[in-house]
Amino acid sequence: MTDVQVGEKSTSNSAPANMTVKGKEAELKPAAENNKPFNYKRISDDDLYRHSSQYRMWSYTRDQLQEKRIDTNARAIAYIEENLLKVREASNLTEEEIKVLEDKAIPLTMEEELGLVNFYAKKVQVIAQHLNLPTEVVATAISFFRRFFLENSVMQIDPKSIVHTTIFLACKSENYFISVDSFAQKAKSTRESILKFEFKLLESLKFSLLNHHPYKPLHGFFLDIQNVLYGKVDLNYMGQIYDRCKKRITAAILTDVVYFYTPPQITLATLLIEDEALVTRYLEMKFPSRENSQEPVSESGEKEEQNDTNTTKKNKEQNLDDGKSPIDSAKLLAIIRECKSLIEEPKPLSTEEAKKIAAKNYYCQNPLTLIQKLKRKMNEDTPAAEKRQKI
Amino acid sequence: MSSSSQFKQLEKLGNGTYATVYKGLNKTTGVYVALKEVKLDSEEGTPSTAIREISLMKELKHENIVRLYDVIHTENKLTLVFEFMDNDLKKYMDSRTVGNTPRGLELNLVKYFQWQLLQGLAFCHENKILHRDLKPQNLLINKKGQLKLGDFGLARAFGIPVNTFSSEVVTLWYRAPDVLMGSRTYSTSIDIWSCGCILAEMITGKPLFPGTNDEEQLKLIFDIMGTPNESLWPGVTKLPKYNPNIQQRASRDLRQVLQPHTKEPLDGNIMDFLHGLLQLNPDMRLSAKQALHHPWFAEYYHHAS
Repeated sequence: MTDVQVGEKSTSNSAPANMTVKGKEAELKPAAENNKPFNYKRISDDDLYRHSSQYRMWSYTRDQLQEKRIDTNARAIAYIEENLLKVREASNLTEEEIKVLEDKAIPLTMEEELGLVNFYAKKVQVIAQHLNLPTEVVATAISFFRRFFLENSVMQIDPKSIVHTTIFLACKSENYFISVDSFAQKAKSTRESILKFEFKLLESLKFSLLNHHPYKPLHGFFLDIQNVLYGKVDLNYMGQIYDRCKKRITAAILTDVVYFYTPPQITLATLLIEDEALVTRYLEMKFPSRENSQEPVSESGEKEEQNDTNTTKKNKEQNLDDGKSPIDSAKLLAIIRECKSLIEEPKPLSTEEAKKIAAKNYYCQNPLTLIQKLKRKMNEDTPAAEKRQKI
Repeated sequence: MSSSSQFKQLEKLGNGTYATVYKGLNKTTGVYVALKEVKLDSEEGTPSTAIREISLMKELKHENIVRLYDVIHTENKLTLVFEFMDNDLKKYMDSRTVGNTPRGLELNLVKYFQWQLLQGLAFCHENKILHRDLKPQNLLINKKGQLKLGDFGLARAFGIPVNTFSSEVVTLWYRAPDVLMGSRTYSTSIDIWSCGCILAEMITGKPLFPGTNDEEQLKLIFDIMGTPNESLWPGVTKLPKYNPNIQQRASRDLRQVLQPHTKEPLDGNIMDFLHGLLQLNPDMRLSAKQALHHPWFAEYYHHAS
């Protein structure tokens, strides 16, 4: 997945121009050449990514994502408010009690929900890492968790209750075997609570479970940079860059870049943060601007296959395929700069802020506790629920 | 999402790796489907085989791969709604047996099936997915002569590194020699070996290497293909289950092995193709894509999709 030519997801789902171009080129090739059929068409990793469920179902424009979150939030608010109205109609409330409800039983805003989701997504990461799970499993768990809350509101399902569920499902789907009992023991949870929402989770994910993370492209670029800039980069230095980028990717997958950019683009953005000069140079060598390049450039995106047993055969196949690079390095750099600025803009909630939102979330779902509290003449200055909310 | 009431359950079609498969009728559309029922009373929640199959099938939309239409949840079971296929290659070949004598398929049908098998497989491999359990039972066919890969219960995604796979996959008869000798770094070539075995079986009507255990399986393979050595297959003697005391054999002429079981002459093209798939050394096997470019398929080059 080191292909980088996918632009930011556009509103239309039309195929990129270069796909059509490639098809035409292939048609013009005589069949006798290389023993390939007339309609021979090399499918790039980029084409493959466009067919993945991750691209089809979980990639958005900024507006689409915003709209989705507003929808989910609005549906939950409607439900909560209906419930609040029932409470107010059913019970004979005093003025004081009504005031408490109006002050404290307020549904969360979309921004508050998002803050809470990201706060718990970080928890998913910390817990999964603590369980010593492989990097890809951790990343998949985070992706499951964040996607779940694109479809569901934290006002309907407590994020705490699916933290372990997402990690356990990620283990299954990434083929990392662990029994539910030993998982429960390690995570200090129970089988029942882990499995309770498993199907709800599967359903919310629309059964699309295969994830593409930026770690594989990182490996690909790591190899390809050394190849393209052979003799110009120090191996030890590249090793350090690799490790630092891995950490940056781990932070980046907690942000919305995963919905806007392809995994290789995210990888390049983290590389750009680490060493802008290196990446710029690499991309300019790899994808020379079109006016002055007559030399065929082999397509990117193949480094991932280095460990395949038949690398040599594959490389031969590739080199025969002398399509010019459709990638413009300047355009690509602009895309990954945008991505980089989003990665560098993290605004996670503090635990205090998260507690406040969690308390608000609790009160809007359980308005009667507010009334009871008032009735018991508890001091309104000690917000008990805030303390009770174990984060 | 469909609901279970939308489908009428008809006769049982068989048992998959982890589920029971029924024929079903979509009452709204009148279209037949295959309903793969997965019991959820498992203590582990949704079985991971089902999770994996769903996960992979969601990515694989190809005319030579059986389609997953939907997943339905009812109280205690999960139903995977698949495209319905009339038959599988195993049953189809069995139905052609006369008395106790198996009969192979006509070579033009063999070629058409093999072409479709490799189209589907090439798509899997392009998507970085290994099937790992290719066998006639898992190749579904219909009356139009279409062939589609099914049962991805043992399939898995691969990438780098590819060296941690369990060796407990692939039905013995179609299992590659490198896997049998304990190699754990196998990749797409494992499926290609199976394709070779299936091709030979379609020609003759009987399995090429019907071993009953790992040792016998290897012996049957070496009896025909010859015993591998370091010069033909560098690294073979380092494999975990390589047996240095195994009796050395020269390879036999594969054509002489197969020709008595078919009336049609096996020409150089088909034999060269078969040898390309049945290379002992996994690095020497054709890739699915290369196999599709083999001259044996020349007649398909012009009107392929």
